[in-house]
Amino acid sequence: MSHPSVLISAYLDGELNRDEVGRLLDHLAACGQCAAELEATQHVRTAVRSLPMMELPGGVVSEADPVVVPLLRNRGFLVGAAAATAAVVIAVAALLTPAPTSVTVSDLNSRFGARVSLDPAFGPAKVVVPEIVQVGG
Amino acid sequence: MTESVPLTWEEVARVYGRKIYNFAYRLTGNQADASDLVQEVLLRVKKGLASYQPGSFEGWLWRITRNAFLDEVRRKNRRPTSPLPEEIDRWDVATSPPADVEYERVTLGDDIQKALLELPLEFREAVVLCDVMGLSYEQIATAVAAPVGTVRSRIHRGRKLLRELLT
Repeated sequence: MSHPSVLISAYLDGELNRDEVGRLLDHLAACGQCAAELEATQHVRTAVRSLPMMELPGGVVSEADPVVVPLLRNRGFLVGAAAATAAVVIAVAALLTPAPTSVTVSDLNSRFGARVSLDPAFGPAKVVVPEIVQVGG
Repeated sequence: MTESVPLTWEEVARVYGRKIYNFAYRLTGNQADASDLVQEVLLRVKKGLASYQPGSFEGWLWRITRNAFLDEVRRKNRRPTSPLPEEIDRWDVATSPPADVEYERVTLGDDIQKALLELPLEFREAVVLCDVMGLSYEQIATAVAAPVGTVRSRIHRGRKLLRELLT
């Protein structure tokens, strides 16, 4: 007996014509082997059809815009451009940043009106009191 | 079967983007390759829409998709053992691991997907187009450029192999 097993999948998919369906059903009624194959095929067909539909990851379609994709495809170019931009920003920032200011004692004097000294060796002011000489009496 | 043919690339992307992704995912087994494939397909659609002749739009679309997939498979097969400088750049920047690493990660525990990836390409695409995409045998025949009888045989043999792989 020749087994028309190749018809089994097409039968499950509704892709057989009427004659083919009749031939297969007649065969299945008399052939346990093909009946078992029909059942097993139906099982695997259902399993594949039960695979979940995945969501399209965000950005995939917008990135497929022909204007954008050539750049994305050479992502090394983007990173190189980003690095170059960062280098330029740092250089410009360095040029624009004012030099650190130094504060002198006279600056502080003029701002706060107090006399200070940053010299630790500078001791307290010595007040020299002239000796009082008693004259005469 | 009457099909309303999307006229613009944007409509194709909006209506079919997710379906293309699912076809691509079941063929490749991982998100990174599937996403790349969707972008490649949409580029080809954009180029091809101008010369598209009304007919089975989905057959045309899936043909573009499977051709893009086969081109990628061929390209990878040609890739030398040590990557070219361009490839090194790409993996460094794209944060995408090589396809085989991603393959192992994503398909872990997914027996059906894993079994699909073990099918010969012509069986895999026929089964996926039929059972995942829900195409008729005639549409599949257009997509894979083969007679309907061949499609019928590939689908059945593909399912038979899947059965063996899953038991």
